[in-house]
Amino acid sequence: MKTRDALAATLGCGLALALLPWLLSDFVLALVLSCLMYAALAVSWSMFCGPTNYLSLATSAFFGIGAYVTAWGLESMPYLAAVFAGGLTAALFAALVGAAVLHLRGAYFAVITFGLGELVLHAITHFEKTYAHTVGRVISDPPGGEAIYLTVLVVTLAAVATAILVRASRLGLALAGIGADEERAQTLGVDTRRAKIAAFTLSAFFAGALGAAMAVRWTYIEPLSVFSPFIGFQTVLIAMVGGAHTLIGPIVSSIFFSLLTEFLRLRFPYVFLLVLGALLIALVLYLPGGLASLFTRWRRIRV
Amino acid sequence: MGFWLELAASGLITGGIYAVVALGLNLQYGLMRIMNISHGEFLMLGAYLTWLAHTTLQVNPLLFMPAVALAMFVLGIVVYRLCFQRIARTAPSVEVIEARSLLVGFGLMFLVQNLVYLQWGADLRGYSFLTETVEISGARFPANRLAVFGFAVAASLALLAFLRWTLFGKAVRAMMQSPTGAQLVGIDTAVLHPVVFGAGLALAGVAGGLLSMVYEISPSMGEPYTISALIVITLGGLGSAIGSLVGAFILGLVEAFGMHFTSPSLKMLLSYGVLVAVLLARPRGLFAR
Amino acid sequence: MSEALLSARAVSVRFGGLVALDGVDLDVRAGELLGMIGPNGAGKTTFFHALSGVLVPTAGRLVVAGEDLTRRPPHVFAAHGVARTFQTPRVFRDMSAAENVRFALEFAGRMRRHAHDAFDDAAAILGFLGLAWVASLPAGALTPARQRLLEIGVALGARPRILLLDEVAAGLTQPELEACAQLIRRVRDELGVAVIWIEHAVRVLMNHVERVAVLHQGRKIADGDPRAVAKDPAVIEAYLGEEGVAQRMAA
Repeated sequence: MKTRDALAATLGCGLALALLPWLLSDFVLALVLSCLMYAALAVSWSMFCGPTNYLSLATSAFFGIGAYVTAWGLESMPYLAAVFAGGLTAALFAALVGAAVLHLRGAYFAVITFGLGELVLHAITHFEKTYAHTVGRVISDPPGGEAIYLTVLVVTLAAVATAILVRASRLGLALAGIGADEERAQTLGVDTRRAKIAAFTLSAFFAGALGAAMAVRWTYIEPLSVFSPFIGFQTVLIAMVGGAHTLIGPIVSSIFFSLLTEFLRLRFPYVFLLVLGALLIALVLYLPGGLASLFTRWRRIRV
Repeated sequence: MGFWLELAASGLITGGIYAVVALGLNLQYGLMRIMNISHGEFLMLGAYLTWLAHTTLQVNPLLFMPAVALAMFVLGIVVYRLCFQRIARTAPSVEVIEARSLLVGFGLMFLVQNLVYLQWGADLRGYSFLTETVEISGARFPANRLAVFGFAVAASLALLAFLRWTLFGKAVRAMMQSPTGAQLVGIDTAVLHPVVFGAGLALAGVAGGLLSMVYEISPSMGEPYTISALIVITLGGLGSAIGSLVGAFILGLVEAFGMHFTSPSLKMLLSYGVLVAVLLARPRGLFAR
Repeated sequence: MSEALLSARAVSVRFGGLVALDGVDLDVRAGELLGMIGPNGAGKTTFFHALSGVLVPTAGRLVVAGEDLTRRPPHVFAAHGVARTFQTPRVFRDMSAAENVRFALEFAGRMRRHAHDAFDDAAAILGFLGLAWVASLPAGALTPARQRLLEIGVALGARPRILLLDEVAAGLTQPELEACAQLIRRVRDELGVAVIWIEHAVRVLMNHVERVAVLHQGRKIADGDPRAVAKDPAVIEAYLGEEGVAQRMAA
């Protein structure tokens, strides 16, 4: 699909989705909201991890950082500014961490990013207890449901548009080269370190912005809930089921998963997570390319 | 003087646990490139098994350790057969094996943790065992901590000896250094891999069982240990069993003293800081060959 | 024109206790066609790794076009005009042949836009190599020989000043060897690119290069006119275990 067409399609869907607050009940709207959030998380995760085949489990850390920017800053700045600031903070954090650890690959990188969530969780818990003398924070005077929805919609559209643009750009090509043969790409002039940090940071921005945007839906914020590893887990699962190398795969898959989550998670939390865990295992073992790979297998050129 | 001894000792005791966990992870990753991110969950299982045995059957936890090891060993073989064996067979490269094993481990983490949540709920559980205080040269320790330490060190040394001196242990080391060469001389990976994986889980389970004697247990207790194990392996170098042992004690001491001088909730920050520092300075670990 | 395009001074590479390269000096002038031979394990490929930035030498200096690039990452070497092929072809298997070449043009090639602009696009490069007809096929589907040719094309896409070719003629028949050598000559003659060519098919190489360097056990033992090198007793001795090479060199 040509870049221009893809962007147009995104905008078109966006406009249609923007009308929903006035057409749907609150309950269904919440469902759509959750779906948008997961789609944006999965798409921005795939932006970096798809082409490079890196496995980042840092989504929870970025999301949580964004949530806390809102928790701390909402009283002194407008909602949109907090969302942007959340994204920016997460991006900055990603850039610093990325500079330190992106030279690692595979298992090491993954476990380190996994530990990031724990790390930020404990750091913020400590900070809150010592300096703010509190465990959690209350969000007083949150914005209205429509404002939240539209903001999340805008962030999601921005994430999808960015993903489209990156794919068509030099950065996207560099990432593909890194995923195919990183050393080879280096000998052909790719500054792999810079490319990886750039994509990792970009991906973190959206996760942070989403955290900042969604934080207002919970009136009480505490580290354990916003830094939950489940967010990272869900993101990876969605992207992998859909097919992290494609754009449309994670989006479609997120619709399915957000529905599943909304209906099952609150009622049977443990069984739900158990099943998801088993699902991920089965997926990796039997369909590592995700559902999208079933489609591309048909179309591959045979020589 | 007694106070510093106690502090150092508590660091060493923690280090002992770390050593057992890290050795298990090291075996799995070093041999099969399986970074078992769910390792901590099996530690947790071992803790629950021990708690269960003690509270329902009144079994002495220390004496129960071999049973825990055996049970986790068998579980490990089953888990390997079901979840990891296929990866080695179908993956096109080592990097893909690593990536897929990681994802499978990630899924296992949620699976195991929530099984336990389902069965026993989220409440903390625990029991008392050997809580009398013992005095050694001016420092006072609860007896259970000493027992844990002793057992952990004994288990680690036993494993090291096993790797060094038995035929099987040598096969494992050979395999880690040169997979093709080892296969050429007749070492069978189809047997070796599940057994080593099982051994890794057995070690994790024993660590968990030991921990249950000292601390309260919960389904989420395992995660931090996985990370600590990784830090230890990084410190000590992949593939180096001695490195894991030394690295574990170093980490334990750093944490104990660091926590005392800063704050207990900064423990994670400290350990993580150690990890990043080592990775930046010596990416292959302090002891890597 | 005494200024060397690429200058390696006392380059050594150690892996733990193993010495792969031991104090190798080499100067390459612009447009020079230099052959590099030596028995297996002599360190030729390791030398290429050092020259392209893939390996950081344990000691020594690497200067390209007047700039000291020692210890810089590979993409800096590529930006200064060093392009290479690998002994086992490393092409991006899932991309088409044309996309592979375009990749190089997009990165290193773009940084060197002002160099000789004989080749502006992937089609021209592939045409030059006789690969135009496989342009849209996935690189992974090509035969190994064609993948080697493609690698040369990719390296040319980086618009190099100097091209490092690592055994690109491996497994070719005699007429194919000649064609390959002619191609390499054309790269130098028509594009003005300096070439260092590692090859085991020593006779063909000696017939086409104007200078040859010989590596043995990590050291350079000869460097000069092919005919003189072929008679050099140190070279003959180094190859003594290798059947027929001495005769082939003298032929």
